[in-house]
Amino acid sequence: MYLTVHNATKIYGNFTALDSVSIDIEQGEFVCLLGPSGCGKTTLLRLIAGLTELDGGDILLEGEALSDLPARKRGFGIVFQSYSLFPNMTVAENIGYGLKIRGASRSEISRRVNELLELVKLPRVADNFPGQLSGGQQQRIALARAIAVDPRVLLLDEPLSALDAKVRAELRGEIRHVQRSLGIPTLMVTHDQEEALALADKIICMNHGIVVQAGTPEDLYHRPQTRFVAQFMGISNLLPADAVQRAFPGLMATRPATAQDTHIACIRPEQIGMIPDPNGNATVRSISFLGNLRRLEVDSPAGPLVVETHGANPCREGDSVTLDIAPEACIWVADDMAPQPAKETA
Amino acid sequence: MSTTEQAVAPSRKQFDSDRLLTLACVGLPLLGLVLFFLYPMLIVFLRSVTVDDGYGLGNYTQVLGSVGFWRATWHSLVMGGATTLLSVFLGFIIAHGLYRCAFPGKWIIRAVIVLPLLAPSLVQALGLIFLLGRNGVISRALGVEIEIYGFWGLLIANTLYALPQAVMIIGAALVLLDARIYEAADVMGASPARQFRDLTLPAARFGILNAAFVCFTITITDFGNAAVIGGDYSVLATEIYSQVVGQRNFNMGAVVGIMLLLPTVISYAIERQAMKRQRSGQATGQVPFRPHFAPLRDTLMASLALLICAGIVAVIGIVVYASFVTLWPYNMALSTKHYDITLAGGYSSLRMTIVISVMAATGGTLAVFLLGLGLRRLPGTVAQPIQLLAAMPAAVPGMVLGLAYILTFNSTATPLYLLYGTATLIAIINFYHYHTQSFLTLMTGFRQLPQALEEAAGSLGAGLRRTATDIVAPFIAPMLVSVFFFLFMRSMVTLSAVVFLTTPDLSVAAVTIMRLDDAGLTSQAAAFSTCVMAVVCAALLGMKATLALIGRRNRTKGTA
Repeated sequence: MYLTVHNATKIYGNFTALDSVSIDIEQGEFVCLLGPSGCGKTTLLRLIAGLTELDGGDILLEGEALSDLPARKRGFGIVFQSYSLFPNMTVAENIGYGLKIRGASRSEISRRVNELLELVKLPRVADNFPGQLSGGQQQRIALARAIAVDPRVLLLDEPLSALDAKVRAELRGEIRHVQRSLGIPTLMVTHDQEEALALADKIICMNHGIVVQAGTPEDLYHRPQTRFVAQFMGISNLLPADAVQRAFPGLMATRPATAQDTHIACIRPEQIGMIPDPNGNATVRSISFLGNLRRLEVDSPAGPLVVETHGANPCREGDSVTLDIAPEACIWVADDMAPQPAKETA
Repeated sequence: MSTTEQAVAPSRKQFDSDRLLTLACVGLPLLGLVLFFLYPMLIVFLRSVTVDDGYGLGNYTQVLGSVGFWRATWHSLVMGGATTLLSVFLGFIIAHGLYRCAFPGKWIIRAVIVLPLLAPSLVQALGLIFLLGRNGVISRALGVEIEIYGFWGLLIANTLYALPQAVMIIGAALVLLDARIYEAADVMGASPARQFRDLTLPAARFGILNAAFVCFTITITDFGNAAVIGGDYSVLATEIYSQVVGQRNFNMGAVVGIMLLLPTVISYAIERQAMKRQRSGQATGQVPFRPHFAPLRDTLMASLALLICAGIVAVIGIVVYASFVTLWPYNMALSTKHYDITLAGGYSSLRMTIVISVMAATGGTLAVFLLGLGLRRLPGTVAQPIQLLAAMPAAVPGMVLGLAYILTFNSTATPLYLLYGTATLIAIINFYHYHTQSFLTLMTGFRQLPQALEEAAGSLGAGLRRTATDIVAPFIAPMLVSVFFFLFMRSMVTLSAVVFLTTPDLSVAAVTIMRLDDAGLTSQAAAFSTCVMAVVCAALLGMKATLALIGRRNRTKGTA
């Protein structure tokens, strides 16, 4: 383990922002902290950065405790959502600031600054001030500034959230490229599941100050363990056992023996096959065309379902269809969002 | 990678120099507040309850039983109320003209309206005497004898002095109003008069309330105008002066000081609340209002505003003019002979005031900067009470603070005695007299500074000292410049706080003007005032130029 967070706890007044959270980052790994706002992901990042103090637990870097080390002595790089470039310094001065503090020579700084400007594909802005750059350019400079000092860990706090969609996709690719080529262990906070799926080696999904599930992007998308993760990782059809029994009895065989009453079935919309059939027991209620795919709302005996299809679509609104779901497409997850009293009566 | 590895020490509970530095940043200014504000205020309170045989309320019963005190109190309240009404009314007219009407030449109004702030408060009184006094230009032209000394003279002088504050505060409230609200009202068919009644007035009411309390406080605490033109119309500020300087009765002075403190503390507390309400009602991303020309409204408002400004120019201008007149009003030929100050000391007090003002401005700016810097790094539960203390001095009238200082520092009980009679002490009292405004100005700058900038610097390895000089100071430079010049200009003209602290060897400009006027050398007082105003004007221009320079540099950096 390169970076280990062990039972990290942070309490604000009577609000527990983080409740005994433990995570690991391997050397060279890209880890995403994913969750809705207020889930504690930014708090965890700030604890690791040393910008907030721990109320309990430990943070270890290669086995060495960091908890009492102030941020400026941790040797980490951080990129904020708000760019946070120093407005009074040029781009070159911004990137070279960390090296200047470490007493690097002027020539060394200038060599490194040019190298990094090449890396983030902005070779000609060295003498500009941050205010003269676009948001996307500023964020590239912020990235260059963070990696200029060869940080032991790179921390990214929603670095793409302030950018518009096209720039976001572009910069996403570049962050990935830079991180891969330098091999810096990286922890990124995001609330965007698509971003996390595209970038991460490992996703840590959080909610209400705890880790709900950690694993590869594939794991989290295809094998969610709870209803929260299933819903957060994209559109999913969530069906209680009795609805499955009623509409797709064949799928009941996939239900693990250990499943509790509160377990529900999760079926991704692209996993549902659809055949036009005048005698089908499901009806197409609405169709939205989204360019690369069509999203249909279908009334089925199990209740309303979302279905996504690619290519030509023979169906029209009001048509009857038959639905086809492969057994392996049906994942049973714990309903961690069910009202608490239901659990007690069970 | 070698550069970063050495930066991390393996030890666990290790000493962090930044914590010590943070403590020093807050601790030193805090010590200053305790020594030079809280402690003197405690002393003045103790002296007010000191009687021959220990402590008691004897002084209070004596003061409360005296006719003179009640007359002065009544006068102060009446004067405060009348000045407040008049200056808020006139201030609203000017602010409304500036921000809600369209007419050319607004810069003239803006320039004229700050004039009274550039001179010691007694200059308004001097100007009125040259205009309306027995030998005044207007009295002689009309051939009537106007009794300017007393209520009416003091009312006009105080109003001129309070007016700039009223215009600035009400203007700040009016400029916040969103254009879209008025566009919506237009579309709904509301007439301009209705819009004024239903939209403008309600939105400006906290500004008006706030302005009223500020004007009231300024008026009842002002000493300069009351001393020069008040005549027999005694007010609390002159009452303290006569108790202390006239009768050497310090304990009674302390009692009157404490009594003067009551209305100003209440007024200040309400004003702070009103300010909070106004801030919370402020929306982000608003569209600024651009008035269109409406002939009737704008001609009327422009004439009224210009008329008021003409009054200000006349009062200040006549002082400058009179300083060059050979023998007012008999020989109106121009000469510079009054600039040859015959009072002992001559211009030494002007030079000394400049030195004191530079000291107060430099030390004061540094102190509030350190305090603001440190407070950002303290937990809220610790920072809040300190912020409250730092905002308190504005509630204390200059006369009371000055009295507190003489009681504290003219006593050999503590080593602080060494400061008595020094220019340093006068610089210190000037700073603490205007501590609140300096502190609050800088705090607005600090509030605009994103936390992430400091955190980014921190994660790159910058300590507090580096962050302060490389990141924070450049960011809030405009505020630092404003605070520096504000302290300099106030120190140049203030009278009330320093009047007790001057000695035969150490005087300041405003006191010299008062002494010249007392000695009947009114033209020399005018000449001396003109010199002070010249210095302050130069400082104001210096401030504008510096701010413009910073603004231009920021614009080229794309940060403005």
